[in-house]
Amino acid sequence: MEIVFQQVANGLSVGMGYALVALGLSLIFGVLHVINFAHGETFMIGGLVTLIVTSLLGVPYLLALPIAGIAGAILGLGINRLAVQPLLQRRDGSADVLLATFAVSILIHQAVVVLWGPAPARIDGLPGAIEIGPVVLTNQRLFVLAIGLAFLLALEWCLKRTRFGTELRAVAQSQFASRVVGIEVDRVNLRTFVIAAVIAAVGGGLLSPVILYSSLMGQVVIIKAFVVVVIGGMGSIVGAVVCGLLIGLLESMLGLVTSEGTATAVIYSLLLAVLLVRPYGLAGKKAR
Amino acid sequence: MGIVARRSVIATTIAALLGSFTFGVAAQQPPPVRIGVLMPVKSLVGKQGHQGAVVAAEMINADGGILGGRRIELVVYDTNFQPAEGVGAAQRLLNQDKIKFIAGEISSTVALAVVQLAQANGALFMAAVPKHPDVTASGYDRVFRLNSTTAMDARDFDIVLTEKIKPSKVAVLAENSDFGRLTIANLRKLFGNKVVAAEAYDMTQNDFSTLVTKVKGSGADLVCIAGSNMEQYGNILRLMQELKLDAKRCVMPGILNSEGVRVAGNAAESAFSADIYVPSLDNPLNKRFVAAYQAKYKETPEKIEELGFESIWLLAKAMQKAGTADDPAKVAKVLHEDKWETPRGIVTFDKNGQAASGALINLVVKDGKLIPAP
Repeated sequence: MEIVFQQVANGLSVGMGYALVALGLSLIFGVLHVINFAHGETFMIGGLVTLIVTSLLGVPYLLALPIAGIAGAILGLGINRLAVQPLLQRRDGSADVLLATFAVSILIHQAVVVLWGPAPARIDGLPGAIEIGPVVLTNQRLFVLAIGLAFLLALEWCLKRTRFGTELRAVAQSQFASRVVGIEVDRVNLRTFVIAAVIAAVGGGLLSPVILYSSLMGQVVIIKAFVVVVIGGMGSIVGAVVCGLLIGLLESMLGLVTSEGTATAVIYSLLLAVLLVRPYGLAGKKAR
Repeated sequence: MGIVARRSVIATTIAALLGSFTFGVAAQQPPPVRIGVLMPVKSLVGKQGHQGAVVAAEMINADGGILGGRRIELVVYDTNFQPAEGVGAAQRLLNQDKIKFIAGEISSTVALAVVQLAQANGALFMAAVPKHPDVTASGYDRVFRLNSTTAMDARDFDIVLTEKIKPSKVAVLAENSDFGRLTIANLRKLFGNKVVAAEAYDMTQNDFSTLVTKVKGSGADLVCIAGSNMEQYGNILRLMQELKLDAKRCVMPGILNSEGVRVAGNAAESAFSADIYVPSLDNPLNKRFVAAYQAKYKETPEKIEELGFESIWLLAKAMQKAGTADDPAKVAKVLHEDKWETPRGIVTFDKNGQAASGALINLVVKDGKLIPAP
């Protein structure tokens, strides 16, 4: 029985990792209606920046996270200006952005491999762990869960309670109508993109002590994040987080009774089923 | 992902290190001996292997080259772990660069493809790191392999496990590859129903909490890890520490290195393994190799670097002995017949081209360092 409780803890912690990446991906899709393939690499850069400032500059881990966030913001700004905004105006803008951000992702990955090297590295996050009976959960994993929830609540509050949130929701519904009522759509797009990048980069900083920093960490995580986004509903913030947690839980529970490979196969079957039966996702709204 | 062909070509030329000795006579220098090097140079292991090869070339050139003062020049191409890219690179070496001696490589699948090309072109292939048994199963007499195979490793390591460790319950965590599956099968054969958990993980997986929780639940007192990615075995060791899994931990032979120990941190303490080489080996050539490597790269070389070194060192020495740098058949014959001094000791090749250098060296992690076991 204790093994089941341990797996619940493991699953939630893994799932929040998926959610942290899926959150930004979903946000960008919801507002800009594009798929940002470079999102995973922003996550990786967050991990790398955390690694560099903690191990080389000796900055405390908790202070390194906001620095990773700033790096993410700058990167997000760059990607948006270089590979998203100029292409969005075109007729097949969304498809072009998909390809352009894919190119950017390879560019970032190769640049890191060449300039920093391909070696994985350990980042020491928060020390210690809590034990409830036989169940062990490290403080770092708890911290990931807490920050993930904090991001979710902050985003929800921002969307519902601030002027920017209102503008963002308006742009998500109709860019044309938003322009008509005087909303600066490009500015909303840019801000959305930067917020998503900050979440991804901080997510990279949060998760690299758990999964170890590696130049491949972005490529691995973005696949799962896509699954989460599609199942949760493209553009749904709550859907991304809830679905991330659920998939983490489902994976770890299935992992108990079957092999990890089978568990992964079940998740991808679920993806296919959702696309066939409920293409707007579990939490997404049907397009009118 | 990974569909974009990365055709980046790295051609490294090793400058002659003859210093003032050749100063002023550069114009009359004999033509260099060119050796092709295939490596996934953008990966960590590929870089390590490549750097070992570079040090070998520099040491030989510093000694005055081979065959009457000819320098060794390496022509290096990236294989990116992809058979298709490996074949492209090998073809370039054979057809474009007209090179008949190819050394290096990490990946077995790439090596298997290159073996066929080498055979078709009459070239000599000195595979450095690939472990798959089929690399030396072609029957072609100009293929050599320096690394040990999983079966060779098991022969020695099985004795350590059964006679020294004597576990009552064994769990295996293995990457889902030929190597991982072979290891699970080997351990099942060795321990029978003492194997209480055998889990395979994907080579891109980065969270192992489920696997380690299952292993903990199995009550195993020995956990064997068979995965070559250090971020993966490092992560597994860390999780075993996090989840307070109290068992002996071994990383299967040939995988654990000091970089991996660094990645795992104090979670690697007292984990054990075995390998064909450690940098602390006490022989003159090893000391010279380690010193030269440290001077150039500010790091201590380990097995991959040593195998990269050996691949060039042995080719050059064999060319010298055979008296030719153009006839792969002659060089292959000499390689088969002789005993060769390398940093890991005396190396001989069997009729299939498989290298052997005596028993494995048992290793243990102590105070964050990978050292020979007492």
